[in-house]
Amino acid sequence: MPVRLSAVIRRSLAKRRLAPRYSGAGLLWRGVRNSSWPRVWREPPLKKSYDVVVIGGGVHGLATAYYLAANHGITDVAVLDKAYLGSGGSGRNTAIVRSNYLTPEGVAFYDRSLELYNTMSADLNLNVMFSERGHLTLAHTDSAVRTMRWRAEVNKLQNIDSSVIGPAEISRIAPSLDTSPNTRYPILAALYHPPGGTIRHDAVVWAYARAADAHGVDMHQKTEVIDITCEGGEGPDGKGPGAKVTGVCTSKGDVSARVVINCTAGWAGLIAAMAGLKLPITTHPLQAAVTEPVKVFLPTVVVSGSLHVYVSQTDRGELVFGASVDPFATYDMGGTLDFTEELAGHVLELMPAVSEMRLLRQWAGLCDITPDYSPVMGFTPVEGFLCDVGWGTYGFKAGPVSGEQLAKCVAEQATPELISPFALSRFDSGMLVGEKGAAAVGH
Amino acid sequence: MIRRLEPRSGEVIDRATPLKFTWNSKKHIGYAGDTIVSALLANNESVFSRSMKYHRRRGVLTADYWDPNTMVQVGTEPNVRGAHRLLEADMLVSAQNAWPSLDFDVKAANGLFGRFLTAGFYYKTFIKPQRLWPAYEKVLARFAPGGVVDLNTPHGYHDKRYCHPDVVVAGGGPAGLAAAISAAQAGMNVMLVEHNHHLGGHLRWGTDEDRAVADELEATARMAGVEILTDSTVTGRYDDNWIAVSQRNHPGVVERLIKARAKILVVAPGLIERPYVFAGNDLPGVMLSGAARRLINMYAVRPGNRGVVLTANADGDAAVVDLERAGVEIAAVLDARAGETISKASGSSRHLNSVTLLDGSTVKADLLVTAVGWTAPTSLLNMAGDRPCYSPKAARFFSTALPDNVIATGGIVGDGRLDELIAHGASSGELAAERAAAVKHRLRSTVTRAQTPEGPEPPMPADHRDGLCKAPHPELYRSDTHGMVDFSEDVGSKDLLSAAAEGFDSVELLKRFTTATMGPSQGKLETVNTVAVLGEARGESIEEVGTTVWRPPYAPISLGALAGRVFEPVRVSSLHEWHTANNMKPILAGQWIRPDHYGDPAAEVTNVRTNVGIIDVTPLGKLDLRGPDVPRLLNLLYTNEWSKLPVGRVRYGMMCAEDGVVADDGVTGRLGEDHYLMTTTSSGAGQIWQWAEMWLQTEHPDWQVHVTPVTTGYTSINIAGPRSRDLLTRLVDDVDLSPVAFEYMNVRSGTIAGVADCFMWRIGFTGELSFEIHVPAGFGLHVWEQLIEKGADLGVGPFGLEAQRIMRLEKGHFIVGQDTDGLTKAPTTGLTPLIRLDKADFAGKPELEWSLGAGAPELPVLVAIRPTDPQLVPDEACQILRKGTAEIVGRITSSRFSPTLGRSVCLGQVTPEFAAAGTEITVRLCDGSDTTATVMQHHAHFDPEGVRLRG
Repeated sequence: MPVRLSAVIRRSLAKRRLAPRYSGAGLLWRGVRNSSWPRVWREPPLKKSYDVVVIGGGVHGLATAYYLAANHGITDVAVLDKAYLGSGGSGRNTAIVRSNYLTPEGVAFYDRSLELYNTMSADLNLNVMFSERGHLTLAHTDSAVRTMRWRAEVNKLQNIDSSVIGPAEISRIAPSLDTSPNTRYPILAALYHPPGGTIRHDAVVWAYARAADAHGVDMHQKTEVIDITCEGGEGPDGKGPGAKVTGVCTSKGDVSARVVINCTAGWAGLIAAMAGLKLPITTHPLQAAVTEPVKVFLPTVVVSGSLHVYVSQTDRGELVFGASVDPFATYDMGGTLDFTEELAGHVLELMPAVSEMRLLRQWAGLCDITPDYSPVMGFTPVEGFLCDVGWGTYGFKAGPVSGEQLAKCVAEQATPELISPFALSRFDSGMLVGEKGAAAVGH
Repeated sequence: MIRRLEPRSGEVIDRATPLKFTWNSKKHIGYAGDTIVSALLANNESVFSRSMKYHRRRGVLTADYWDPNTMVQVGTEPNVRGAHRLLEADMLVSAQNAWPSLDFDVKAANGLFGRFLTAGFYYKTFIKPQRLWPAYEKVLARFAPGGVVDLNTPHGYHDKRYCHPDVVVAGGGPAGLAAAISAAQAGMNVMLVEHNHHLGGHLRWGTDEDRAVADELEATARMAGVEILTDSTVTGRYDDNWIAVSQRNHPGVVERLIKARAKILVVAPGLIERPYVFAGNDLPGVMLSGAARRLINMYAVRPGNRGVVLTANADGDAAVVDLERAGVEIAAVLDARAGETISKASGSSRHLNSVTLLDGSTVKADLLVTAVGWTAPTSLLNMAGDRPCYSPKAARFFSTALPDNVIATGGIVGDGRLDELIAHGASSGELAAERAAAVKHRLRSTVTRAQTPEGPEPPMPADHRDGLCKAPHPELYRSDTHGMVDFSEDVGSKDLLSAAAEGFDSVELLKRFTTATMGPSQGKLETVNTVAVLGEARGESIEEVGTTVWRPPYAPISLGALAGRVFEPVRVSSLHEWHTANNMKPILAGQWIRPDHYGDPAAEVTNVRTNVGIIDVTPLGKLDLRGPDVPRLLNLLYTNEWSKLPVGRVRYGMMCAEDGVVADDGVTGRLGEDHYLMTTTSSGAGQIWQWAEMWLQTEHPDWQVHVTPVTTGYTSINIAGPRSRDLLTRLVDDVDLSPVAFEYMNVRSGTIAGVADCFMWRIGFTGELSFEIHVPAGFGLHVWEQLIEKGADLGVGPFGLEAQRIMRLEKGHFIVGQDTDGLTKAPTTGLTPLIRLDKADFAGKPELEWSLGAGAPELPVLVAIRPTDPQLVPDEACQILRKGTAEIVGRITSSRFSPTLGRSVCLGQVTPEFAAAGTEITVRLCDGSDTTATVMQHHAHFDPEGVRLRG
């Protein structure tokens, strides 16, 4: 049963806090006057009660909170994070965005996300450095070429700029790639998606946090959710299907809330279990690494599914790498040596010239993976408990649109069309989403 | 001014071997044993780089590997540590991050705008108008620091080494050496890894007595049989002491990765000296005490003429003595232990001129040496799960808890006189030896699975070492002025304070916002100062602020070394040479290279349809299954029934994953009572083996089944065509091949062309009468050549993958992974009769039971499709649309021109609405135009009744 929120919608009360706007002129003015900028967000005390509690201070949680306040006037919102804002997947991903997905559902969804990313700097008044540098997915085998063509054909029907190009064109776009036919895995073709690119992931987190704060949303860092309180459910403590959520217990005290939204990654299953729900999710580490900087030579994002690697060069000159998720389920984020060895081997296969560049740092994040590689979004069998989880390796790309749609879902008490394919109930009805085939290395 | 000093007792340069080299196109001469930077200093060069953001001139800071100011380009190699890399003859060295030259750098103009370019300034600007951002971005990207990659660099030669030492010691200072010696003397196999070129750590740049101790320790270690690696770094400690070592001085190799499974890791990296934060602390001429002492005592280079020393410890005091002995005039010594310090350093952008003290007085000097304390490089301890804790008394971080197989010693643990450090190292080595012995014992008792060791497991020897004290040290981080904190990233204390004031006030947020500690030294120099400034901003102690987690690698390692020799094996069949000699056009199919065709695939098709052809199908996955429980395994893996397969019969089966999606297919034959041969798709061979083993090992360990992959053990050949029986009969004597004796879907074993123990089965992917023979691989070529020779008059010819693909499409056989995808459930294939839901269980059964039940969503259907225009072959992956809309209702999964039918033929998936025979569908071609096609009654475009196959 949907939650009644009309009482908490206080559109008229939603007033923007007057924060100085970021601009080049402002920067100059403050430079001349030697005055400093105000805090990017407040550090308010934790209240006893909120209308909406969002668990997880990453892109998804913050975007949800922002759109609740900005689009729907629901401002009595708390975002809780057990560490600092952006400490999970939002700060650990390789910041690639694109919309050339395989299924119409995926395309429509990610295209809206890309649209929001495109105008985010201006919309949220913080430069998130969206770099529309193009995205190449390489094909090394006949069957990969066929899959690229499949994606291109679906994309064209959705008006997404995406096409299959040959080695000569690939070489023109990214001269550092070895496109000769004599390599072990010759590059036969690529899916080229000019609107894809990279973005400064931390800036996206801060932009949403700052904008949400300006609308009166409270951010609480180092506030860990220990339990979720429910009543009327089938399970122990009144939890489980049929229950109604009443609030959360945190490391800084208990909070009552009519709506609790699970926007976590890595711990989504554990948070859902606090409400008595079991999600079809396994958690795998996804590793990434970065090199020392060199002068910029790679102007585009390069992905190779067959070689399990994706690479881009930041404006700072570092190469950022990622691969597919580790094959074992674990919460350990220690990282492995094998990962760096295999990664380096595959990168050199593509770009032999970088063998003298040095790996500076490796890290890992946690990915919650569902059976069909698609997320779980919206209402659950526990009233007032919503999920925005199961984002696998591609949650960052979807952050803005997820927040926008989930906020709509909460405010209008109905599942928006754009996210209806991702309902938890699909695992009962069997309407799985078909991104599995395309998502093996989904960057 | 001549900077090179007279010969000195501890110098590491060989004055008898001068080396010519080039610096920014200037010619210089150094000595063997010099680093690039010591040689440049001796040639009176004092500026080595421009800083990242403001392009300020930078001189020596630490004069070792971690020096952030001396990264240079050497030939095609970017980011070389100039203060660590040894000089070589004719080296081409140039400065990075400066244009047009190091001396005149246009981007130094940034320095003028420093007050506007505060940390994170770009987040606040270039926001509007948005359309200009891409142009701004292009300019910003030009400011990327670092060297240049030469895109023509070929793949270097790299190798890896694997070893299993009992003890790895990371760090060859006095404590590390002592640990290595005592562990080796206790009988352990010890590898000692030293980051620098020389053993002895700080003793190397100490007094003659210090060096004598280092030499003695080194000699003892060598006598004790310790394997010593210099210019090598333990870059990572992974689970279960999997140790990565980067060896930079292995002859003939740029860099080598050594992978060691160590029983015990001893961590003895010593301490890294910390810079002091004050205005002008990045001027050329300002350096740390370690830098001054290394330059004087090891490289015989005088770092300046008139110096000021700020000292808070014995190393600073020793620097004063060394400077005096090197002829540097000491203008002032400030003792931080007595509360003295400096306020700022001033000078031109090229060099330090004077030092201002707290009272405002200035001292003229061209050299300022600071010794304000240490950073404990706890990186390897972090990787072992330790979260270090700050001690205000000793003004540095210490480890809190380590696993049993990691032992720390030396400066990272505490302070003491040299003899105390050596004693601690020695007792750590003993402890390491005891624990390594315990680990050895455990490993021995677990290698034989059948026998459990007798008695309880011996406990891990406890740590009874005498600890080292924590000597008091003043907490000195920032003076009363603002200066540089992160030299590589050009982040100053002012940037940190303003970022913290803006709310980026936890150590992780601060790091991400300002990029402090994210540069090439990864915090080794700047982490503690960053934390200290943040503490200042928050009004908290360093202890309360905490620190960031140090991640691997400890020191950067080249991608070439990590990659090693790229090991991507190519698989070919035993017939490969024959194919190559006979005009094969190869195709890459997973790991395999196989013939796509031999010149004309259409002719190959026609020859098979009219005469007989042979194809090498060796890559077909083959699993030899033995044991009484094989039928149970088959029933579990396949969707159909396998309990009653008679000996001598083969059967087709389809496998599903647990979500009901088609995973693989193939035929399995029963060769004997308890003996089966399973074939899988070529691409699925490895996965299906794992899949079978997974079920046997995790769910049904009680089943008696042996699974042996024999894919390459047999050369597999398919003989197809109306004359295939005639051909095979000529080579086989001991099996009756007549249609009555050897029916379709049967298997026989016998002798082919004199080769015993061959299997032959009658199946037909091509739709023709055909025999698939599996010949012991060693005789594959012989049998193949016999087939060619004996069949000459029958018109036998080889055919490749392309011809096979055309024929299977004519016949309507689907290919898993091409005509099915990651969501194709078994019923879509049309083989619903093969899904036996009445079986007790099989992989995917619950999901399929539900999919086939009432109310389940309708699944797409695999159908044969014929384009209306018989000459038009739509590309595979073309989408099928609802007429007049962009709604996708299916796609073409396979398409070819059929030489047999003289028209195009396709397979495709469509929604049930469009699946009825005769339905006209709209196909969107890749060029954007639409065409029509018709859905067929049967999957087979050719011989739907299978008359030819069963003949």
